[in-house]
Amino acid sequence: MRREILRSVYEDNLVMLGQGRSLLTKRRLYLGKKYLIAALLCIIAVLVNGRHVNISFSPTELTAQTAMMNMAPALPPPAPEGVPNPAELNSVAGSGNVALSRMFGLKIKTIMIDAGHGGSDSGTVGKMGTKEKDITLDIARRLRQHLEAKGNYRILMTREDDSAVSLNRRVELAKTAKADLFISVHINYLPQKPINIIETYYFGPSTDANILRLAEQENAGSEQGLSDFRAIVEKLGKTMKLQESREFAESIQSNMVRYSRKQNSSIQDFGVKRAPFVVLLGLEVPSVLAEVSCMSNREEEKELQQEGHREYIARSLALGIFDYLNKGDLTHEAKR
Amino acid sequence: MKQNDEQNQENVLFVGIDLGTSRSAISASNGKREWIESYVGWPKDFIAEQVIGKPVLFGEEALQHRLSLDLCRPLERGIIKEGIESSERAVKEIIRHLIDLAKSEPGKQIHAVVGVPSDSLKVNKLAIRRAVAEHVQALMVVTEPFAIAYGMNLLNNALVIDIGAGTTDFCIMHGTIPSEEDQKTIFTAGDYIDEQLFNYLIEKYPNSRFNKNMVRQFKEKFSFVRTLDEDIRVELPVDGKPVMHDIKNEVRRACESILPALVDTTTEMIARFDPEFQMKIKNNIVMAGGGSLIRGIDEYLQDALKEYGACKVTRVKDPLFAGSDGALKLATDMPAKYWEKL
Repeated sequence: MRREILRSVYEDNLVMLGQGRSLLTKRRLYLGKKYLIAALLCIIAVLVNGRHVNISFSPTELTAQTAMMNMAPALPPPAPEGVPNPAELNSVAGSGNVALSRMFGLKIKTIMIDAGHGGSDSGTVGKMGTKEKDITLDIARRLRQHLEAKGNYRILMTREDDSAVSLNRRVELAKTAKADLFISVHINYLPQKPINIIETYYFGPSTDANILRLAEQENAGSEQGLSDFRAIVEKLGKTMKLQESREFAESIQSNMVRYSRKQNSSIQDFGVKRAPFVVLLGLEVPSVLAEVSCMSNREEEKELQQEGHREYIARSLALGIFDYLNKGDLTHEAKR
Repeated sequence: MKQNDEQNQENVLFVGIDLGTSRSAISASNGKREWIESYVGWPKDFIAEQVIGKPVLFGEEALQHRLSLDLCRPLERGIIKEGIESSERAVKEIIRHLIDLAKSEPGKQIHAVVGVPSDSLKVNKLAIRRAVAEHVQALMVVTEPFAIAYGMNLLNNALVIDIGAGTTDFCIMHGTIPSEEDQKTIFTAGDYIDEQLFNYLIEKYPNSRFNKNMVRQFKEKFSFVRTLDEDIRVELPVDGKPVMHDIKNEVRRACESILPALVDTTTEMIARFDPEFQMKIKNNIVMAGGGSLIRGIDEYLQDALKEYGACKVTRVKDPLFAGSDGALKLATDMPAKYWEKL
């Protein structure tokens, strides 16, 4: 056994040097051939039994298909509006091929900022009429300015005005833009409690009824039920996206809390949590949803109407992002 | 190794190197075993070089002079930062320094086995190869937990959990070289504990002054999970005056923050394996790395896995050198013909 292991180590190193091929690769090639043969057989079956295949060339469907293909050419067949394509989600979840930019020392190039809600979807509305969609958009714009000013990144937004963008469209936009990092900005609402809280979420399963309720609220617009996510969540758990997203979330949360408390010491730190938000689901990159404030708190709603407060929140988010991107860099930590 | 001829044994110094985020160690066939902190610093300018008196500093010494140095921790999260010149340069310096510490006789060839984290992809291994190749005549790269397993003769039905600073690596051994599916890396490790502890201490003692290096030292000295009879009190300056602080709860919370991911991944790794052998693996779980020194962590994992049936978790005796010793054993066991072809 030992001799065999030593030989394998040697062969593995030869592969690394490009002088050999691993047993694993050979196995995959073999499997690849099998899949190819299976695919050919399927095509033949489809051609032979064409009458069983429901193919429609009506103008309406053709247009819809073309539009979807233009939007996301590499994606599997289109799903109805608002519903993630299960095949697509499964392939993402099961790929295990996560773009862990930091782990592999690759440069973060594109950051996608998602201003929660918009258009007919106001999000939460405060007692004085402040709308979540307006606040998140303003904070997102300010965040973009900070990131553009202080880092050499390409900063994109899922919406730049008061327009309605479906949750799945937001995910698609991030994927199409090849975003390396995704942050969704939201405002919390706790009608039963007069407290002011900050919390940050990353995608994952949760058993907390309150979190599931919040997820349901934020997922409005997607017809997919929470139970549908189970298989996907299990697969995602096998990737390192969760790890990265958690670290990203922790960086965002700790900065928001630290800087918000300088203004308001009563703010409560509800920490980093996992929740099944649709907007975080389909992404392979570190992605978080930050509940940056709490509209149900009357004082906080007043503060949110102030430009300075929104600027403060945007800055703390930017700091959280920079902290995450520079984690472990002592020069950066010393500056902080 | 039986297959290595005598001439090879005489002309070659075999070394096993564990390149870690926090510490790097070398074990050599001449009996030398050394470690350094994986920090490298170069004087920022001519004046700094005059003051420090050295062209390059390592580890604790580098940290102490960090204000005068361009400091680099090249193996952030256990992986060399591809494409970042200073990181590769720093790894080269660490390797050179470690090999110097091994005190090879002049004229001897150096054959090295280097351990890297489990999830390192080809590109990372190549980056490490590039950094190491300058200083050795033949080189093999293996995963760290595999090197540990090999060194401890855990070749079959065993799970090695290597809790380092940047990563925690899991590796299942089943009589062959572990494939990608047999290995997993997560990032909740020593650095993660440091960060949690730092945040907890800032929250509890906002007026006290401390830095991340001090927090890391607290962790290394006091880490524990569950319960501890003694108090943990440390001296921190408040407005310039030294004041004693009780940090026991914060240390416990920070150390326990890595446990959920540790338990989840351990069960996931075992569940992946053939059910027939799951029981054997559960009875052969070995913890290594600096994180295995956290008091009570082995018992915690053992208890957490009890609901899946009996299991046994042990810790390596010498976590600092388990990786480099294993890599050395691989190097000395490796048949000469394999070295020649590399």
